[in-house]
This record gives sequence, structure tokens and C-alpha cells, in this order.
Amino acid sequence: MCVSTLKFFENIPVVPDKNMVLTRLGYKKTKTVFDDTYRVKLDEQIKQGIGLCNTKAVFGRYKIEEWQNDAISFSKDKVFKSESVAKLLKNSLEVVLMASTVGKNITEIISDEIKNGNASFGVVLDSVASQTADGALDWMVDFINKLLRREGKKLTSKRYSPGYGDFPLLNQKEIYNILNLNKLDIEITDRYMLVPEKSVIAIAGIEGIE
Amino acid sequence: MNKLEFRKYLKENIMVLDGATGTELQKRGMPSGVCPEKWVSENPEVLINVQREYIKAGSKVVYSCTFGGNGGKLSEFGLGHEVFEINKKLAQISKEAVLDNGFVAGDIAPTGHFIAPFGNMPFEKAVDIFKEQVKGLLAGGVDFFVIETMVDIQEARAALLAVKECCDLPVCVSMTFDESGRTLTGTDPVTAIITFQSLGADAVGCNCSTGPEDMLKVIKAMKPYAKVPLLAKPNAGLPRLIDGKTCFDMGEDEFGSYVKEFIDAGVNLLGGCCGTSPLYIEQIKNNIKGFKPKAIEPKIISCVTSSRKTVYIGANEPVAVVGERINPTGKKKLQEELKEGKTSQIRTFANEQIEKGAAILDVNVGMPGIDEKETMVNTVQFLTTTVDAPLCLDSSSPEVLEGALRIYPGRALINSISAEKTKLEKLLPIASKYGAMFILLPLNDEGVPQRAEDRFKIIEDVYEEAVKYGFSKEDIVVDGLVMTVSSDQNAAIETLKVIKWCSDIFKTGSIVGLSNVSFGLPERSWVNTAFLAMAIGNGLTMAISNPSSEILMSIKMASDVLTGKDKNSIKYIEHFGAKKSDKPATVKNVIELSTEERIYDAVVKGDTENIKNLIDTGLKEGREASFIVDKCLIPAITRVGDLYDKKEYFLPQLIQSAEAMKEGFNFVEPLLLKEDTREEKVRIVLATVKGDIHDIGKNIVGLMLKNYGFDVVDLGKDVSAQEIVKNAREKNARIIGLSALMTTTMIEMKEVVKVAKKEGLDAKIMIGGAVVDSAYAKEIGADGYSEDAYSAVKLANKLAGRA
Repeated sequence: MCVSTLKFFENIPVVPDKNMVLTRLGYKKTKTVFDDTYRVKLDEQIKQGIGLCNTKAVFGRYKIEEWQNDAISFSKDKVFKSESVAKLLKNSLEVVLMASTVGKNITEIISDEIKNGNASFGVVLDSVASQTADGALDWMVDFINKLLRREGKKLTSKRYSPGYGDFPLLNQKEIYNILNLNKLDIEITDRYMLVPEKSVIAIAGIEGIE
Repeated sequence: MNKLEFRKYLKENIMVLDGATGTELQKRGMPSGVCPEKWVSENPEVLINVQREYIKAGSKVVYSCTFGGNGGKLSEFGLGHEVFEINKKLAQISKEAVLDNGFVAGDIAPTGHFIAPFGNMPFEKAVDIFKEQVKGLLAGGVDFFVIETMVDIQEARAALLAVKECCDLPVCVSMTFDESGRTLTGTDPVTAIITFQSLGADAVGCNCSTGPEDMLKVIKAMKPYAKVPLLAKPNAGLPRLIDGKTCFDMGEDEFGSYVKEFIDAGVNLLGGCCGTSPLYIEQIKNNIKGFKPKAIEPKIISCVTSSRKTVYIGANEPVAVVGERINPTGKKKLQEELKEGKTSQIRTFANEQIEKGAAILDVNVGMPGIDEKETMVNTVQFLTTTVDAPLCLDSSSPEVLEGALRIYPGRALINSISAEKTKLEKLLPIASKYGAMFILLPLNDEGVPQRAEDRFKIIEDVYEEAVKYGFSKEDIVVDGLVMTVSSDQNAAIETLKVIKWCSDIFKTGSIVGLSNVSFGLPERSWVNTAFLAMAIGNGLTMAISNPSSEILMSIKMASDVLTGKDKNSIKYIEHFGAKKSDKPATVKNVIELSTEERIYDAVVKGDTENIKNLIDTGLKEGREASFIVDKCLIPAITRVGDLYDKKEYFLPQLIQSAEAMKEGFNFVEPLLLKEDTREEKVRIVLATVKGDIHDIGKNIVGLMLKNYGFDVVDLGKDVSAQEIVKNAREKNARIIGLSALMTTTMIEMKEVVKVAKKEGLDAKIMIGGAVVDSAYAKEIGADGYSEDAYSAVKLANKLAGRA
């Protein structure tokens, strides 16, 4: 059963963690060196990247109907078969499905920049886009936790995504349908990949605050 | 109860509200999972008992049981078509419960959807949803309204407008702030009180989410600015989930012990939220005995808000700079973007102006060929999600201004209202309805008076009209009206007189648009800056200007120090203290380097702009092309590889150098062919395997391989094994590079290896991508795995026997 309707966010005010943007690009705080001119240029590129992201997201809450060591079932006939997911949701009453995207604009620009001889800018944009999509999920987790606090509940400290461990990627299709991701202009391929590429799906559990 | 009676009651009394209703209904048999509104309408006696208990415990007001009574929530139970009837009936049940012993507040709460542009529900749809509920509650006879548990200022605004557009009953707005002191969408208590009281709320406050201790902080923050009574409904402490039920940790005695503190903090309406019961309300009743509410004596301040920030304006505040750049006049690129509905220029102007010190952003989209109202609304919506600075809505059209004010999630500044009769008649009611501040432009239907004294008269006339709509002097800022000194040298003096008169006699703030004063003169920034300093000396409180002018902003900050507005010079020190002193540069003089050193340097530093010129210089100085390649370019890119290996360079630097190398090599390559016969390039076929659409990593690898002297044939993404092998054979490739990012597609790599072997292709196969590793390469029979672009180059060299 769906505990509440899907919550859509059309503009998530997420600013990606700059350190994480750099870390994704191989930056090592104690080793990597660049001068002030490059630093200014890099900051400008990161800002441009942030400006190109149109960050949207959605989440939904679903009551867990049955828990087993290697599977959970929810929303009548929906089942996730995965020991890792079952372990994550061991103490959960509900499962939260969530997704975010930074839109297709930045993905197209990344591709153009790489093809047109400005790949150094392209990879910075790529990192900003990836970090922003993840940052949107972090923002949503924080948002949901604030909502849940009033009920004496919280989200599990970790979240899980299809394609990791024993949680097959094909679950992206199930979650895609449940969350109506076409409303966020996200498509899914027959190999369960999300388009635009910088789109992320995750699940977490809702537990009581002890 | 009308507004006057409401205000009068609260002047003399603390109004005791009710406590939690849902839990009381559950205690009396309401099953979980049902629609409470529907259940109560079918079991009215249960609610009547609960509410009579609250009245008996001391509540002067009970909320109608309509928390989920809006169309958004009732639709979740398939009851969207019964909104009016359900709300009417529930209001009637509550009226029957309280009889003449108290009041019924029509309860309005969130729809469960977020409002655009943050969420996906259009603002007007939210207003309509609330109006439908308001009409039902009015038909049921509620005495006033309470909009409660709001987490989003824009949704609360929609509800408040809905009530105001349906009736003239008092309406309270109560937001939910968490322990951080902000709502879920980031609104602070001061911004909330200023926005809602400006928009016409009769009481403002907070409920739910926290217990009394944290809620006191919210009330204390609001009180200095509150022109209206304050409301608080705290939870009974903090929630815990015990045996699947939400429980609260504070007993009624402890809850009651906070009552005096709430009264001291300035609360006028006090009740309980989650976890409370009639016992808690009884504590409030007992503990308010003998106390009167604190007087409502707000600070006299001028301020505007965004949804997340308040900007204070006035004689004791630093001069507020209103950034003027979001205006298409003379900006061709912005004009094009506005026509196409794009926003990149607006975003750039907004962020740059705030970075440079603008406190407020002026928004003007007036230009031919667009629908100004639609463009203004879209621009304002975009900016409210992009920046947290309040906006100054700049248009000569009342319709455009009303459109923008309606959806603006805060208290805006209108630019501007003059004494022109038709505009004054239209704009004052609009400004008043949406609670905006406005810039008073001292001109009338006859034009701009030259003499300051004539402008004083217009200012007084407009103010007299504005008072009729509830405006006070702190809601107005007077435009000094700067005319051009090149055409009338007395113009600036007249403007300064207006500024001084506003400051000393009329007692309002003043604003000037600086750039007009210098029109027609050379080196205008000196005149603008001198005029700004003089205006500040005469009492100016705001300036419309381009904050990118460093000299202007520096003079502003210095003036704020000299006039005592920048307390303890904190902002000045913060700004200038952080700047580096002007030490002489210690950069090595590039002219001292030889040309080959400079070519080498250009590759190492990734200088794509100068590499060709440098090589050209080297060639003209008589160096052979092969010398430049062998002694400059290759050693440089090898050095870059070393730096990357040591992590002294990270990926963008590596690629930037590779791009400079490519630029240089492409320039010199035709000469090489004439000069000598070089080793033939090794050809590599690259592809992202079938079913996989990710190709950024593969493209980077391709770029790096090209720059390191490989002949790369990129087949793109989603390429079948047969196609890859066929191309490798036809193009005589010595290496095949495969990329896959997902577990579902990495298996295609095995297929490529299988097909290649079956067809006897002797090309080496290397693989890469987030989900594969060297073990997988070995497992499928590939010849190698690389973890990143540079290691791909090294692996390709090794496979080609070039290492």
C-alpha cells in the first residue's frame, strides 16, 4: 500500500559539494596542485555546471507487507529479492523509493564539449552532474527525515540502488514504473538504464526513532 | 467573529486553543487507515465529545476536524468530489460541540503536494483547492480560520489568499519549524512573520514538529517584528515510535510549566499539537490565570523578504544595493534568451550581482516582442529557486506587477508607484493586497518636477493615498529621481535635497538609480560614485546600481562605516580584510624561457590558446618539426603522465594538457610527413558495448589515445559484438577497446571476445568501465583492463609493444 501520494520536486535547491566534485575527478587534497588562475577557471566551470543542472526528484512511501531474509514485499504484488536489501530494511516499517535527475541539458552539453575539443571542461561538467544527482538524493533524504521526525521515525542511515550487490538492475524498471519517472522526463532502456544518464534511483527504509 | 473582535479579544486575553484531535479520536475508536474527515462526518458524536472535553478543559477555540479536508487530501480517499459537503458538515459538528462556549476555527492544512516552482502543483491550482475548502467551512459557520502545519511558505500563501478572497473573517497562519528554526523549505521565523502579516494574516505562529522549548525560540524570534498576535501549538515533547505507535515524551505538568515563558515571549494564542490532550490544555488554562498578553509593539523597520531571507532597509542599516542588471535594455543576448524562454543570462546576472554585494535584485523584462506578464512570472519563479535575495519587481504595467506579486513567495519591493492618476489607482490596491513595499516615484501626469519642493508635494500626496490602503512610512522608499547633470547641472542638487528631506523631515527611506546622473559624460563611474557618496551623506538608504563596479561598492562599504551603519565595521573588515595585499608578482618572467621551454610549458599547463603560436615561433627560429615533437611535445606529455600518476595532476589537468598536445601536434604533423617517415600509428577500435548507452568514459579514453599517437576509430555506443569485430577486421585494428558501465551490459564484452576468437581476429582486446576489473578481463579472456584514461594509454602502448 502506498502510504502517501508521490511527492514531486521540480526544482531542488541542491549545490553539489565542491570537494566531492573534485574527488570524483581524482583530486587529492595533499597531492594535487594547481595555481590560482586554474583554480579560478575551475570554480567558474563548476558554477557553470551547477547552472546547467535542472534538478528534479520524486519519492514515495510504501508499507512493507512481508519481510524475509532474502526478500521484501510491499504494495501488494511488488517484491524485491535481495539479501542486501532485506538486511537494510530489517527494522523498517516502510520502504521509501526515490529518484533524482539533473535533466538532459547538461548531459548533451557534456557530450558536445568532449566531442568539440573541450573535454577538460566536459569532465568537470560530468562530475558536477553526477555529484548534483547524488546531492539531490542526499537533500531528499534530509527532507524526508525532517518530515518523519514528527512521526517519531527516521530513514535508514544507508540507501541502496539497483545494480549494486545482489540487487539486480532490472529492479530499476519496477521502481521507474512505481515512481512515474516519465513525469520527470526520465526514460528507461530495455537494459534498464536511465536516460538522461545522470539520473539516480535509490531505496531506503523507514524505522522508528528509539 | 470579525477582525476587530478578534484583535480586541487578543489584546486583553490569551486565547486558549485546543490540543491534538486525531489521537483523541483514535482513543475513542476511529480505526487507523480511514479518512478521519469522512469517519467523523459519519460518527459526529465522537468529535463532539472530544471537543466538549477541550472546552471543559479550558479551550476557547476548537479547530474543525478538517486537517485533511482539502481536495488534495480527500482525493487520496476518493472523496475529492465531496470537499464542500464534508467541510460544511464538519464545521457544523464543531459548532454544535462548542455551542456558545467557544469559537470554531476552520482548519486548513497542507495538500500533500509541493507548489511550483519547487514542486509540481501550479500556484493557482493550490489557491483553488483551498478556496473550495474555505467555502465549505464558511457554509458550516466557522468563526475564523487557521492555516496550520505548513512547511512551505508558498503553500501557506496560497491558503491565505484563498481565505482572503472568499471572506473577511480573521485568519491565522501557523508554520512548522524544526529544531534548526527553519521550515522544511528553509523559511526562518522572521521571514515568515514579515511575509504573512504583510499579506494580511491576523495572527502568525507555529505548531507541531517541536516541543515547547524549541517553539519558544521561534516565538521570541518573531515577537520584535510582530504587528499581529502570535500563535503557538507545541507538541508534547519529542516523538518516539513505541510498538508501532508514535508517542511523546513530555507529561502535562512539564508542558504546563512552559506557559508563563510563552506569555513572556509574547504569545497570544496557545494550545497543543501532537501528543497533547485535554489534560495538557487544562494546564494552559490553569497557568495563564492572572496574566495578560504582552503588548504588540513591533520595531519600526522597513524590510523585504524572499522565501528564505529578510533584508532590512533603513537609516540604521547599511545602504541596500538593488542590482540593476536583470533588464534587457541594451543587452542583446538577454533579449534573445527572454524571447526563447531561456534563463542562463538571468542566472549569471543574479549570481554575479549577489556575489558582488547586491542585497536585492531588480527584475525588469520589459521589451517588445514578448508577453511581459508571462515572462515576468517565469523569471520571478526561476529566480526564487535560484537565489535567496528578495526581488524588486520592476514594470510600468499594473497587470505585470500583479502577476508577479501573486506568485512571489515573500514580501517584494515594487518599482515603482508614482502620482500618475490611473497607475496610482490601480497599483495601490495591488501593492496593499500582496503586502509589498513600494518605491514612490515623485512624478505625476505633468511629468517630473525640476524643483525638490514640488517633488515633496507629490510624495505627500501619494503617501496620503497610500495610508488609505494601510501603508505606513516604513512600507515606502522614495525615489530621489536622478536627472542628468550634463543637461541640467542643478539636477543632482535637487535630488540630494529630496533625499535629505526624506531622511530628516518626512522620515522615509530613499533610493536612487545612480547611472542616470552621469549620462552623456565621459568616465561616468567617477560621477556615479561621487554622487553615491554625497547621497549617502544626505541620508540615502538604497541604491539601484550595477554592483560589479568595484569602486562604487567600495565607496558604499566605506560610507557604511563612516555613517555608523556597518556596526563595528564588520562587513568592511570581512570584505577588505580577506583581500590579499598588493605584493609584487613573483611569477617567473616567461620571456626569459627559451621557445622550446615555452612549448614544453604550454603542454604541461594545458595552454591550448598559445601552443600553436609558440610552435610557429619555434619553427621560424629554425627548429625542425621533429625536434619540436621529440624534444618538446613528447617529453611534456610524458611529464604530464608522471604528474597524473603521482596525483599531482587530476583528470581535468591531464585532459587539458592532452588537448594542448593535440592542438600542437595537429599543427606540426603536416610538416613531419614532409620531413621524415615516422612509425605508423597503431589503430584502435573503440566502442561501448551493445545495450549500453554510456559513452563519456569511452570518449575520454579515445581522446587520450589520440593525443598519445594512436589512430582511434570510435564506433560509438550500443554497438553489437559482430559490428565491433567486423570493423576491427576491416580497419586492420591492432587493438579493440571496450567500455561498459552496467552489470547488465558488461556480459557483452565476453561476447566480443568470443566472436573475435571464433573469427580468428588477432587484435588485442582491452576493457574498462565502472563495473569491470582486471579479474573480469581475465575471466572473459580479454588482454587487459584499465581503470582510467591514462592507464588505458599505458595499456594500449603495452599491447602495441610500444611500452
